[in-house]
Amino acid sequence: MQTGTVELNPAAQTEKSDHRAGKYLAFQLGQEEFAIQVLKVREIMGVQEITAVPQTPHYVKGVINLRGKVIPVVDLRLKFGLPEAAYTQRTCIIVVQVTHGSGNMLMGIVVDGVSEVLTLTAADIEDTPDFGHGITVPYLLGMAKTKEGVKILLDIDQVLSTQEVHKLEAVLQKAES
Amino acid sequence: MAKRSKPDSVEEKLRAHLETLAMQAVLAGDLDQSLHVLKLVESEAARAGHPRLAQEASSLLAQLSQAAASPGGSPSPWEFISEGVLRLQHALEEANQGSAVAPVGGPSSAPPEPQPSAGESQPLARDPELVRDFVVESREHLANIESSLLALEQDPANAESLHAAFRGFHTIKGLAGFLEFAAIQEVAHEVETLLDLARNQQLSVTPERIDAVLKAADYLKAAINQVDASLDGRPLESFADNRNLLWMLRMAAAASGEESQASAEAAQSGRAGPQVSGSSASAALAGSAENRAIKVDTEKLDHLVDMVGEMVIAQSMLRHDPDLALNRSPRLQRTLSLLSGITSDVQKTAMGLRMVTIGTLFRRMGRLVRDLARKTGKQVELVTAGEETELDRQIVEELADPIMHMLRNSIDHGIESPEERAAAGKDPCGRITLAAHHQSGQIVIQISDDGRGLNREKILQRGRERGLVPPGVTPSEAELYNLIFEPGFSTAERVTEVSGRGVGMDVVKKNIVRMRGKVEVASQTGQGTTFTLKLPLTLAIIDGLVVGVGAQRYIIPIYSVVEMLCPSRDSVTTAPEQGEMVLVRGSLLPVIRLNERFGVEARARHPSEGLLVVAEQEGKRFSVLVDEFIGKQEVVIKSLGPMFSHVRGIAGGAILGDGRVGLILDLEAIFAWKGEA
Repeated sequence: MQTGTVELNPAAQTEKSDHRAGKYLAFQLGQEEFAIQVLKVREIMGVQEITAVPQTPHYVKGVINLRGKVIPVVDLRLKFGLPEAAYTQRTCIIVVQVTHGSGNMLMGIVVDGVSEVLTLTAADIEDTPDFGHGITVPYLLGMAKTKEGVKILLDIDQVLSTQEVHKLEAVLQKAES
Repeated sequence: MAKRSKPDSVEEKLRAHLETLAMQAVLAGDLDQSLHVLKLVESEAARAGHPRLAQEASSLLAQLSQAAASPGGSPSPWEFISEGVLRLQHALEEANQGSAVAPVGGPSSAPPEPQPSAGESQPLARDPELVRDFVVESREHLANIESSLLALEQDPANAESLHAAFRGFHTIKGLAGFLEFAAIQEVAHEVETLLDLARNQQLSVTPERIDAVLKAADYLKAAINQVDASLDGRPLESFADNRNLLWMLRMAAAASGEESQASAEAAQSGRAGPQVSGSSASAALAGSAENRAIKVDTEKLDHLVDMVGEMVIAQSMLRHDPDLALNRSPRLQRTLSLLSGITSDVQKTAMGLRMVTIGTLFRRMGRLVRDLARKTGKQVELVTAGEETELDRQIVEELADPIMHMLRNSIDHGIESPEERAAAGKDPCGRITLAAHHQSGQIVIQISDDGRGLNREKILQRGRERGLVPPGVTPSEAELYNLIFEPGFSTAERVTEVSGRGVGMDVVKKNIVRMRGKVEVASQTGQGTTFTLKLPLTLAIIDGLVVGVGAQRYIIPIYSVVEMLCPSRDSVTTAPEQGEMVLVRGSLLPVIRLNERFGVEARARHPSEGLLVVAEQEGKRFSVLVDEFIGKQEVVIKSLGPMFSHVRGIAGGAILGDGRVGLILDLEAIFAWKGEA
């Protein structure tokens, strides 16, 4: 029997104005700080043994057991084309709820480390800079300026549903400058 | 109130004619009589000065004669008539606008509903939660109603079934009224009136009336499906026009004048209806069982099963904890073993929660057999046994289609016509048995008929024609019967509405195999055919062999494994451009290296250093090379989700004893994929 549809959280809806303001979970990946909406995060866990699944892209590390559920795990470093790094004590799997097709699914993302939860106001968030040539990067929500520096806000639904994310390099360069 | 008023004006007479037509159309009754009535309508309408009505009638007549000229194709004439009657009613209403005939008392002579009941207005305060409950509850009632009605048909004096059906409609009416589903409420109300009359013995229960009530139940089912669909946020489409149905029900309720005749007919056609043995008892039983049951969302149930699985793992970790093992305290050991006993009990109970009895499925088939028997003009009795056999809910759901196909086949091809049966010295009433029982961890379902049996010559001939049997080869009986599961294989000489297009049996087999089951056929010419289905009790759990390849561990479902062996170095040969082969007891089997398929590092360089798992697919054996055998484990199958739906050779995942995920191999897919790799 069908159960009711899961309420979309308000932050996931793409109304203009300031749908982007809110709480974010910041994490590191290489030299950069990224952040995703806290509402998308289900839990954070240490790295555990991941079972590899054949015939998948290299950034799909495999599947893990999340309290009896089998969920896929994506290495965000590899997804963004960053060099692979050995997992350390700080390495985390962030379990996020993403929309996949018509439903929701849980997915783990491997990041170098989780840093903090930020509360961002509309004034803190800037639109993604224009990269010219009409390049649009659908998985970027914008850039947040904080005391510690610039944080790149990711639309995690888009990140995980997009096949190619190589445009990140351009973003990183722009962020540096 | 049951007495019909005499038609006193032309309009009244016309309306009465249309009512007769509507009823005939719904019941698929006497075509000749309907044509006659239609002609009467045409001539009387012309005489009374209703040109539009006369025109509609004549165009309907033309349509019908056209349909009669091309038999076999196109919808049945009744569909034309029921559509046509609707147009005629509209025309009559229009014609009446001018003359404004006051309705004369009596339910059957009431004018057609002035406001169209189709096109429901959407009340603002319709709580989706309430609507959902309505859908669930109504469906349950409809299922019970159906079995009660079938029992009632069998035994018209069965007051309990009559009451049960009445109560069902009454509840639906109440709920629909509350939620303002007017069309549903109207139909339920009319049925209630009809059944109430029968309850008070003012009407006798005839097959025709049961037909009418079943039609009403079908209407409600369709309407409730629409309501259900609207829960997903889509706007509620207007319900199908129920006016014909309402008229028909009123006719059935009012036609007490024909009582004596109808009951005489009923007595005559008493054997015509299929008999569902013990259905009244089982319906009553189901009723009381449902009262003791509660409904639980399957998602919650799955979650419980997940958590219990985790608990089992945690318990086993505790048991093997090295620190605890050092503690030799007998009290601790006792507590630990108590915990392990309880854990496995909890696991068994949790798994058992997903089990349902197969009786609900069998009861649904009663209706199908009844309808098909009517349609094909055969007399069929359905006998069921082992309704209390329990199996996984999911399997019950997926079994519905295959069993329906097989019953259809049995009725259409297996059971002979009453005359043929009588000529062969058999009881003119055919018998189909639907039985279920448990056997060594599997569920066995048998569908047997006492019909003419499979025609071996014809199957062989078709098989040769289609190149399935090479010339000069005489297939064994089992091989021959298996041909009927080939796609597009049909020995039926004519394609009927029911079956014979050759689709069906292959779908049956595919569905059963997908559920990890088997179908077997046995047949005796002139004695009947028996289909035997063997299925696992649940789709959720399999017995698996855990094997290791390099650092990876995989689970191989035990049902697909023939044997495992460590080959000697010289039993393995490499054929050029063929790959490795291994000689096992005189036959050469291809060797598939699992590590190469999955791109992982293996320890075994040569098959003799590893382990070969021999499996069979459609009679072809092959072997899969793995490094080692780790153990045997019962695992709960988990879907890997949409992200991995394209992965070949993996059937799913499972949580292993140490909490890690192991991948379940699909050996057949691995074998089939060989050519492309």
